[in-house]
Amino acid sequence: MSHCTCENNDKLSHDEVMAKMDTIIERVGTSRKVIIPLLQAIQDEFNYLPGEAIERIYEKTEIDRAQLISVSTFYSQFRHIPYGKHLIKVCAGTACHVKGANNVYDSFVRELKIKNDKITTDDELFSIEKVACLGCCTLAPVVQIDNKIYGHVAPGKVSEVISEFIETTEAGEEKAEKTKKYKISGEVRLGMGSCCQASGSSDIYKELLKKSNELGIKVDIKSVGCVGVCNQVPLIDVVLEDGSVKRYPNVNASEIKEILHHHFKSGSLIKRFKNSIINRLDTYHTDTTWDNVVWKSEAERTGLIDSFLSEQKHISTEGYGFLAPLDLDEYIHHQGFESLKKVITENKPHQVVMDVLTSGIRGRGGGGFPTGEKMKIVASSDKKDKYLICNGDEGDPGAFMDRMILESYPYRVIEGMVIEAFATGATKGIFYIRAEYPLAVQRIKRALELCLERNLIGKNILGGDFSFEISVFEGAGAFVCGEETALIASIEGDRGFPRQKPPFPAVEGLNGLPTLVNNVETLSQIPYIIRNGAEHYAETGTQNSKGTKVFALAGKIKNGGLIEVPMGISLNQIIEEIGGGVEGGEKLKAVQIGGPSGGCIPAHLCDVPVDFDSFNRMGAMMGSGGLVVLSESDCMVDVARYFLSFTCEESCGKCTFCRVGIRRMLDILDRICSGKAKMEEIDKLEELALNVKKSSLCGLGKTAPNPVLTTLKYFREEYEEHINGLCKTGKCKDMMQFVITKDCTGCTKCAKACPVDAIAYEPYEVHNIDQDACVKCGLCVDECEFNTIIKVPVKEEVYANNN
Amino acid sequence: MQITINDKTIEVQGQDTLLEIARHEGFEIPSLCWSKDAKHKSSCMLCAVKDMSRGQIIPSCTSKPVEGMQIDTQSEEVMQVRTMSLELLLSDHRADCEAPCSLVCPAKLDIERMLDYYDKGQKEKAVGLIKHAFDLPKLACEDCKAPCEKACRRGNIDAPVSIRKLIKELTDEMDAAVVDEVENVAIDKKLFQSRLGRFSDSEKIRLKETVSTPSNCLHCACTGRSDCQLRTHATAHKIKRPGYDMSSELQVMSKTKVNDIMYFEPSKCIRCGLCVYNSDNGFTFKDRGFGMEVILPEENKKNIRVELASLCPTGALYIVEN
Repeated sequence: MSHCTCENNDKLSHDEVMAKMDTIIERVGTSRKVIIPLLQAIQDEFNYLPGEAIERIYEKTEIDRAQLISVSTFYSQFRHIPYGKHLIKVCAGTACHVKGANNVYDSFVRELKIKNDKITTDDELFSIEKVACLGCCTLAPVVQIDNKIYGHVAPGKVSEVISEFIETTEAGEEKAEKTKKYKISGEVRLGMGSCCQASGSSDIYKELLKKSNELGIKVDIKSVGCVGVCNQVPLIDVVLEDGSVKRYPNVNASEIKEILHHHFKSGSLIKRFKNSIINRLDTYHTDTTWDNVVWKSEAERTGLIDSFLSEQKHISTEGYGFLAPLDLDEYIHHQGFESLKKVITENKPHQVVMDVLTSGIRGRGGGGFPTGEKMKIVASSDKKDKYLICNGDEGDPGAFMDRMILESYPYRVIEGMVIEAFATGATKGIFYIRAEYPLAVQRIKRALELCLERNLIGKNILGGDFSFEISVFEGAGAFVCGEETALIASIEGDRGFPRQKPPFPAVEGLNGLPTLVNNVETLSQIPYIIRNGAEHYAETGTQNSKGTKVFALAGKIKNGGLIEVPMGISLNQIIEEIGGGVEGGEKLKAVQIGGPSGGCIPAHLCDVPVDFDSFNRMGAMMGSGGLVVLSESDCMVDVARYFLSFTCEESCGKCTFCRVGIRRMLDILDRICSGKAKMEEIDKLEELALNVKKSSLCGLGKTAPNPVLTTLKYFREEYEEHINGLCKTGKCKDMMQFVITKDCTGCTKCAKACPVDAIAYEPYEVHNIDQDACVKCGLCVDECEFNTIIKVPVKEEVYANNN
Repeated sequence: MQITINDKTIEVQGQDTLLEIARHEGFEIPSLCWSKDAKHKSSCMLCAVKDMSRGQIIPSCTSKPVEGMQIDTQSEEVMQVRTMSLELLLSDHRADCEAPCSLVCPAKLDIERMLDYYDKGQKEKAVGLIKHAFDLPKLACEDCKAPCEKACRRGNIDAPVSIRKLIKELTDEMDAAVVDEVENVAIDKKLFQSRLGRFSDSEKIRLKETVSTPSNCLHCACTGRSDCQLRTHATAHKIKRPGYDMSSELQVMSKTKVNDIMYFEPSKCIRCGLCVYNSDNGFTFKDRGFGMEVILPEENKKNIRVELASLCPTGALYIVEN
């Protein structure tokens, strides 16, 4: 997300706003189709969509009021009111949800004294919102403040996070001013902003800031994306002026100074001199005595990584761990664009389609439609212009594979696109990427520029007859736009309403022309297929699911992260051998696969092979590849409700079953989770779920009931327990309460910790919780040293029966 | 090409949709969000049919025939989908078809209509209506326990409309014998009755402040009920009560004046979008998902043609004839 560049919006005069608007309109265009890029540009400039700016659109462009309201209120990216100076995003992704994101959100609201129904503090310093997923699932619960990510944020740590943010931001601003004066001599990348950030990262980040400042070393300290090995953090990469990279996994704060000093020289002579004296005193430092850094043994550093990687197979993520994302030469050096050269030289488009068909690869976006079949349809059209869209609108909470691929392997996706375009005769390509993925957008844009310079895209690619242009379209925040017809509608400047298929986009898509829509991961596998042969590719995987699949492994797992595994591997293998088992030694309860479209597979069925069809048979779905491990302490009804509340919010609203049906399902689930439902409502829920699945118009509605249906299928007794007033895990807040047993010593710690003063401060007396005031955040439980605060069901008879 | 509909083989040509083909062949398919020659996008799912070859429920109003297609328009499964689509729509349709007072009147007097005359100052017509309903208008409500006043929705806000007192006042003031009778059409109880449910606290305050008619009547009855397709289909599908509780924030009884004769009531809207797709810079959608609304920005009112009202399948957009 972009940030406000002008802090004094309100001080802009009307004329200034108009001048800025005219420049934007001049740059972006005036047709109805450019509405989304236009609104994005305006929001970039003003931080929201100011009324007077909007009026200018009506005056200067073809866009009218009806279209503007329709589009700007459909996509969640657009803001109609100004936000505070800093934006707090509380991740509400699956992994964060099961680890208590709601409590974290409530804590922020309390801590910042944000009033009811408001999202901004009175002093306009902070605004707060829940976001679908920040893609840092292994660090759940996660919070992002502006560009800073905080992992493992317990409700009790919220005030700490806020004050730390205020401190470092001020320090950061100072630093930013200073760095302007010096030449930047390199950068230090810290695995942040994605799954690589762990509890230690923010300390490392602070230390990097502090030490680089102290040493007068002017380096860019960058938070970078995922390297997959989320359990080996903190992890830093030092990028030197010559572009070479040194990687330090498992670093700790005390090593930072050494590492910085080893690689960089300070900016000013005086500081350099001073530093050298200090360091001589500190440690006599040369390359040969470079052992002040606490080097762990090679095995210790990499042992875990090895087992994490053992079962993996890298196709989409080929070059994993060493490819610098934007280094085109390096990519070429590692067989990059060989496949493209091959197809251009051989000049047999038909053969390419056949190869993809033979490989058996199926679309990785969720549905699993054979990629080759789609290509065949598009190739068979004799229209002069055809489109190819790379679908990077990954919206599953708990999935971030596409982002990682786009960020880390941009050239591979581009190569896959050009190959498919050549095979099908497509003339125009579009990268459709969520605007929530700014780094991916930036990398792809840069990668495209570099490819254009080398004639890998553009006119007469590699000297042949084939020409193919690629542009980037930023999605504006709507899960439904992962559906191809909705995605196309949004490129055409409309609400993301899916439409009835057929005609399929391959026949009649963008602007009425044949359009091939492929997922990022699918495209990233194409170069491999061409280079190594379809038969070779088809050797990996199962009968009907070939190749590999990238998953985001998160939830209650020891070593979470981004993994690429061959199809056919069992879920148990993934959990045990790659993930190292369930976190904290708990028992595995289920695996949620495929996010809001998928389902929960119970532990006893986790020997199922990863395969499109076997998941479908179980009522789950491959989806885009979120894999959230759930333990005995997770409530399945709550998980079902969580996903349904996501789809309810993300439904486009076009058809009855999805718009109203999902809401009515959610109503029933809300009642079940608060202990107010009757037994027959379970059947009603099931009937409704089956009908929503059957009768919704698009994939979103057709799959939204899956989390409910699978939990009903495998965990029905848990629903029944809820009706009877019991949520064994205590996750359903309305059904449980905290009470203090008579063993309480009256130490008052809990009373001090309580954010809402629900515990009276009475030293040496057994404390008591005022149930009306209690917000059930659980902070008192964490504080109590005598384990005298327990969760009990609200309904007394249930409590009695179970004790 | 050839397709089959309910085992009947049909030769099809041209660009017709399954809905049109089936209707042409005499198979009845209900629809709400479709209107001939109007722009539309499938929304309501009332026209659902089953594509037997793919085993899928599809909206017939936008689906085109494909060679060899087998369509089922009347199985129990299809009927169930249609009924459920209506039930879901009705669960998000906060309105009364008929006023509760009129529904409970033992003498079958259309009380709301009578009060409408009263509020418009057409007292003669009001008396005429009473005269048609009662043999002895002066003694009309004499021994009645006045279920109308108990049912009156105004009673939930402050006090019910004093219906009996008003009737007495009217019949005292005007000799029923000298006014022309106005035909009182008793409410057809076989028709589906939508009920608006309870007022929220904020609605009570709003209605108390904003609705001030001489009689105090809220005029719960739907102005557009006579040609409401939602009601017709709900009746045809034998729906008694919507099977789902409402959980909506729809502003009940909130009217927007479109122009001199046209009104828009969002709480009755089923979001089919016919008015959106068929007006140029007029009605528009706002937000998405369950919270999606159809709105008419003030500046766009001038762009609304009167004919648009006839497209609305419910009583949300209607014309008031004076």
